[in-house]
Amino acid sequence: MVKTLRRPLLLALCGAGLVVGFLRLKGGERPAVHGGWRELSGPDLR
Amino acid sequence: MKAAVVGGGAVGARAARQLLGADGIELLLVDDALPGQAEAVAASLGSPCVARSWSASDLDAGDVVVLAMPGDHLARARAALARGVHVVSVSDAVDDVEALLDLDGEARAAGASVVAGAGFAPGLTCLLARHAAAGFDAVDEVHVAKAGTGGPACARQHHRALTDEALDWRDGEWRRTRGGSGRQLCWFPDPLGALDCYRGGLPDPLLLVRAFPGATRVSARMAASRRDRLSARLPMLRRPHPEGLLGAARVEVRGRRGPVTGVQVLGVLDRPAIAAGILAGVCAEWAAGGRLARTGAGGLAELVPEPVPFLHDLAWRGVRAAAFEGEEAVASRL
Repeated sequence: MVKTLRRPLLLALCGAGLVVGFLRLKGGERPAVHGGWRELSGPDLR
Repeated sequence: MKAAVVGGGAVGARAARQLLGADGIELLLVDDALPGQAEAVAASLGSPCVARSWSASDLDAGDVVVLAMPGDHLARARAALARGVHVVSVSDAVDDVEALLDLDGEARAAGASVVAGAGFAPGLTCLLARHAAAGFDAVDEVHVAKAGTGGPACARQHHRALTDEALDWRDGEWRRTRGGSGRQLCWFPDPLGALDCYRGGLPDPLLLVRAFPGATRVSARMAASRRDRLSARLPMLRRPHPEGLLGAARVEVRGRRGPVTGVQVLGVLDRPAIAAGILAGVCAEWAAGGRLARTGAGGLAELVPEPVPFLHDLAWRGVRAAAFEGEEAVASRL
């Protein structure tokens, strides 16, 4: 019984791992950003 | 002035709250298809807000209706125009925006305005594009990106948009591309930061090309995760958040000033439902007060004569735009 189920179980586990890995993949490191955001206020809105 | 808000959801309720504070408001009608929803909004706002099923005959010429419900905006806009009532639509569906822009002749004849896409994106994005363009003699490119959604209707539209056909304006013609294609890393105001954005069925280019006819490239993208893309063709896996969470929009305008080319990046960080409601309310006030550039149909980039006073009105209500600056400017502020 255990021997019969071993292969499908392993395949299912690998498949689940691949799906979870794909969903969680962040797409690698983000390049550094050179600058920042400044809120528009006062002189910008006159 | 009398006003009506059709749709008392996350955006409509905020728009109604803004209109309640408008100068000279005599009557504010709130209508919603969900039983009890309009009554709840009217009870929370108090007089002169009344929950009632809206019909065009409730308003007179020069009054304003804000359309903030899911579904067809065209029929209600037509009914309003027939009585000379201004229309402000928050729909971000391409079909709705196209249909409302086609009402231009009808609206001009009626002496009324139809503001299409008066929400977060499009809406704030159009306004920011107009503001950024003020720094150039000629605008060559406008690229818009958005992250996050407003209420449940907005979230469903956002979900559909990722698989809908995308419209890109390139070298004087429309190019139709697959939604979910064209990944681009876009930096939104903190704390959202860098997010992968993709093409989708977004109406921003339709509105921006009319406002910047000389631009050679206009595009719009939406932030999406890998899970969003994987599940885009399925029904929504989770019930949408009733109020939406934090979102952001970003507008990049490239243009020329004299012989020099440059780029200006503006953004906004807010909860889309709140920002869209506030913008729709301010827009309705401007339309009823005759402060828009002209009658007829268009987006905010076309219809707002001067973006600074509009941005000032938004900032006073808590919706603040930001500009992205290079590291030299950041260092000089430290």
